[in-house]
Amino acid sequence: MSLRELSSIFYRLSRRAVRPSATISQNCRRYASTEASRASPTQEVSEDLQELESVSSYYPISNPNEDIKAYDPVKRVQGRRRQLPPSRYQFRSPRYYRGPLHPHQPPPPSDPSSRLFVPGPFSHTRLEQTYQSTIAPDLMAMTYVHTPPGTVKAEKGDRLRSWDGSSPYHKGRPKRGPRGPGEVLRVMEKDINFRNIPKIESVVVHSMVKGALDDSAHLHVAGIMLQAVTGVRPVVHRAKHSEAQFGIRISQPCSLTCTMRGNQALDFVDKCINLVMPRIKDWPGVKGTTGDGAGNISFGFNREGAILFPEVEVNYDMYPPKMIPGFHVTIRTSATSDRHARLLLTALGVPFYGKLVD
Amino acid sequence: MAYAHTPISRLLKPLLQSFRSLSLSSNAPRAASFPSSIFPNPRSFSTTPARLAKQQGRPKKDPRITLIRYHLQHPKTPRPLRLSRMRALRHWTIHRAWMLAKRKKLAGEETELMRMYQSMHSACEELRTMDSPGTRDAGRLYRIALEKKGIFKHGGVPIEYARLQTDTPGREPWNHGWTR
Repeated sequence: MSLRELSSIFYRLSRRAVRPSATISQNCRRYASTEASRASPTQEVSEDLQELESVSSYYPISNPNEDIKAYDPVKRVQGRRRQLPPSRYQFRSPRYYRGPLHPHQPPPPSDPSSRLFVPGPFSHTRLEQTYQSTIAPDLMAMTYVHTPPGTVKAEKGDRLRSWDGSSPYHKGRPKRGPRGPGEVLRVMEKDINFRNIPKIESVVVHSMVKGALDDSAHLHVAGIMLQAVTGVRPVVHRAKHSEAQFGIRISQPCSLTCTMRGNQALDFVDKCINLVMPRIKDWPGVKGTTGDGAGNISFGFNREGAILFPEVEVNYDMYPPKMIPGFHVTIRTSATSDRHARLLLTALGVPFYGKLVD
Repeated sequence: MAYAHTPISRLLKPLLQSFRSLSLSSNAPRAASFPSSIFPNPRSFSTTPARLAKQQGRPKKDPRITLIRYHLQHPKTPRPLRLSRMRALRHWTIHRAWMLAKRKKLAGEETELMRMYQSMHSACEELRTMDSPGTRDAGRLYRIALEKKGIFKHGGVPIEYARLQTDTPGREPWNHGWTR
């Protein structure tokens, strides 16, 4: 034990000797102004720091080499009370999720034995790298709002209506939303800081297939085209009401959506911006009035635009040409207002035209 | 029979067989060898060919649609992977390492952004408190620094800005002389 302690003391001493030089060289950016202002006080600070222990007490004292030597796999195996199951034993994930109380629970999706396991990622997306290195800092700098220290926040009125305490049942009741039919609580724009720089959260592709009302072949062709373009299995939606004008009957399958997240969504946006949009003929851009007021921007591709997607273009002959549909794209961003979302998309390269509405 | 299992022979086999049967039937008619009373043909009950009868009622479907429908029937999720104990352990280790690396990267990005934000804050604070209150043009630089003129209008972010990073950027970054 004494030997072991000695070695650990040596280890800590050596670390203490090395540490201060490392902290200085750690910051690889040099600013002449910062260094000039810091020149005199640095010495004093470092003297003060001399008294402090450079290594935290949480650092493990044991020597890793000794741990490796002390590890004896054979002894470990023999010391086991119960043998492990044979190596060919395979855990079988339940086919259906039967609720949290069922004894047979599926493994986490990162486990290869899970039915939801997806290998990857195998590459970085271009859009993500550019966003992280250039666009995010630029957006933050562009929209920076300075709040001097000590600024008192003005109290704002309550946006929800509270109940008058006329009934004892009002106690603990959730507050009411705004008055009037169709009124909802609007999303309030927040100032951008380093935590909430707008970014793309997910992309939803939606296509209303009109021909599906007569012939399901339209729906199938549209489905496989959307699957090829987005890489996501489309979800079929049925009509909620009967509409005589559109020729829709209730519960008739009429539209498809695909929801993409993460790298898939970024790749899709990249494809749209760099491959498809520049090649659409006489296309003015995305309308400036788009957006739902909460930072989600939508635009559409007609049939000619959909054909320009590389996945469709490659085997265009495999789709019956009259059945290829156009589709709507909704980009859901983490921005809290349309103008912030538009700023992000403009920085990514989406052209907007016409009047800009927030 | 060594060539019997090669893919070409497998493809050719039915062709050859059909050819042989054709030539056989032409050389020696079946009616002569087998009397029809012993082997009655069930199809010969009707004189019309079966295919013709089927195709009359419905319009012809595009074979591409049939193919698309066939491929849409593919089951959604494949069978889960089955790894042996050591392979599963290796996978687990790599997965943990990847998660750690990802978390480190995200934390690094966030601290970098925080550093930028704080330096912007300190710079603005410096600009704000630079001049004493009575002087002429006090806080002019501060006001100019925080101006947000036209960033939410057309051309707030120039279109030239939107160029994603590449490993091999073009020699000419932007063709300014381009016209339709």
